[in-house]
Amino acid sequence: MLHRRIYQFLLIYALGISILLAIKVLVGLSDYVIPGWESLWHTAREVMGRYLSDVMNTLTVAVIGQVVSVILALLIGILGRQATWFGSFIKVAAYNFQAYPIVAIAPIIFILFGDGFLSRLLIAAMICYFPLLLTVVGIMAEPIYDIEHFYRQTGRMRWQLEVKIRAFENLGKLTTVIAGSATLAMAGTIVAEFIAASAGIGYSIRIALYQSDLAKILVALFAIGITLSVYQGLLELGGNLVKRVWSR
Amino acid sequence: MTLRFKVLFCATLITLLITLLASRHAFPDEKIVYRLKWLINMSTVGDVMAESQGFFRAQGLDVAIKAGGPERDAIRELELGYADFGVASADQVIQAAAKGAPIVVIAQLFQVNPLQWIYFKDKLQLNALSDLRGKTIGVTFGKNDEFIMRTLLSQAKISEEQVKLFSVRLDYTPFYKGQVDLWPVYANTQAVEIGQKLRAAGKAYGFLSPGDFGVHFVANSVVTSKREMQERPDVVRRFLEALLKGWQTAIEPQNSESAIAAVQQYDRDTARDLLVEQLKETRRLVQPEATKAIGHIDAAAWKQTEQIMIDHRQIERPVEIVRFLMPQ
Repeated sequence: MLHRRIYQFLLIYALGISILLAIKVLVGLSDYVIPGWESLWHTAREVMGRYLSDVMNTLTVAVIGQVVSVILALLIGILGRQATWFGSFIKVAAYNFQAYPIVAIAPIIFILFGDGFLSRLLIAAMICYFPLLLTVVGIMAEPIYDIEHFYRQTGRMRWQLEVKIRAFENLGKLTTVIAGSATLAMAGTIVAEFIAASAGIGYSIRIALYQSDLAKILVALFAIGITLSVYQGLLELGGNLVKRVWSR
Repeated sequence: MTLRFKVLFCATLITLLITLLASRHAFPDEKIVYRLKWLINMSTVGDVMAESQGFFRAQGLDVAIKAGGPERDAIRELELGYADFGVASADQVIQAAAKGAPIVVIAQLFQVNPLQWIYFKDKLQLNALSDLRGKTIGVTFGKNDEFIMRTLLSQAKISEEQVKLFSVRLDYTPFYKGQVDLWPVYANTQAVEIGQKLRAAGKAYGFLSPGDFGVHFVANSVVTSKREMQERPDVVRRFLEALLKGWQTAIEPQNSESAIAAVQQYDRDTARDLLVEQLKETRRLVQPEATKAIGHIDAAAWKQTEQIMIDHRQIERPVEIVRFLMPQ
């Protein structure tokens, strides 16, 4: 599974670079518009180490942000699973909160919390929380009649059991959405760094953009992609492991 | 066919031809895209004046002025054929030249780089560059203000450990709060705005101008592609003529009203009194000496800019930037 993720990424990246290089050759563009192989290789050797370290910095924030948003989405999903007034209120409030674009809220976050760790974390969590919430609410609000019926009839149903049944029955779906939200958390952190932070790969991309250096941006994309592929692969492996343990 | 009909037919044909030729002359047929470096504000007053006063049209050009931004790169657009002319900073031009971009600088809009650092006089006494030692200085990492400041520091023999370089954004709060001692601003736009606020608050402020210490890093310039120069030299000449006339008209004091009105068409958020002050500052930067022609390309300053880029390893080897400047 991990290998597949990495292969897929390498294939897509190689395809993207090949298309760019083909355009460069066909149109006769200079290295300023699209860098050539030599320029890419030279830039990669120069900045790859630093960029990988930046990506790890970003990934750390993204992982924490994702954990926060998973917890938040689970909490709201559990609270909002019931078809009561309170459940509906929680769901509507959570949906409305997400209606505001993050880029519009980001400047306020940076003014309040500065351009450090907390702002990046908050933005990462906000960006990946909504798709998680939608899935969790969907899963938690959908009864598994075949199993739940037994516990209800015997009077043994508790909310913890209800949550556990619904989570277990939809573990595949949950794992997929959590792995997918890793991309969003990473993207959210990068956006935050690009807008105002002074660390991480988003900040490095911003500097490369100032310098009109597409080679650096392509190297940064490689570093982000490969790291994210490994992380997503690990998340999927973790999901399978949990499923196996629960099945015993 | 009767003689009368023949005469009528010829007269109609001649009238049609004359109308067609006259309309070709009266309406511009050369469509031009001009990509700016940044949003339209007082720094582009000459560009918008050339358009609003009909100077481009008089040269038979239909120019679409397109605002720039951080994600826009005029040089890339020139090469890809999305723009015919553009405005680029000197460091962009040199980097592009180093990577083989076929470009030519046809005019240098600012003779003095508008970049300065603002500071509070009650916090900082700045008589020499050595006074920067121990200070927190705002720079935009990766942009030319970083290289300019590093050049100033190396001139004063101040090492990086002896100052704190602070990464700046468009939010000036760290400067107002006193977390940063010097903050980079453009003399003809942000400096005017901040200066007005600080004067209202009774604060004394000063500016650190790199030019005062012999650092002449070229600012924005007008560029076009080599292809345009070779294939349509007449269009380049007409464009430049109209553009420089626009700048000349914009900085003449008697045209202040029309210059401000031209900018206000695009920049509706800046107050009029600020625009008046910004225009005054812009005049000083565009034509510091009456003897120097508007748009003059300062080859010596370009060479110094290239050297700064080499010193800070922004380019690996010299590009002989003079080769990319249009002969004057």
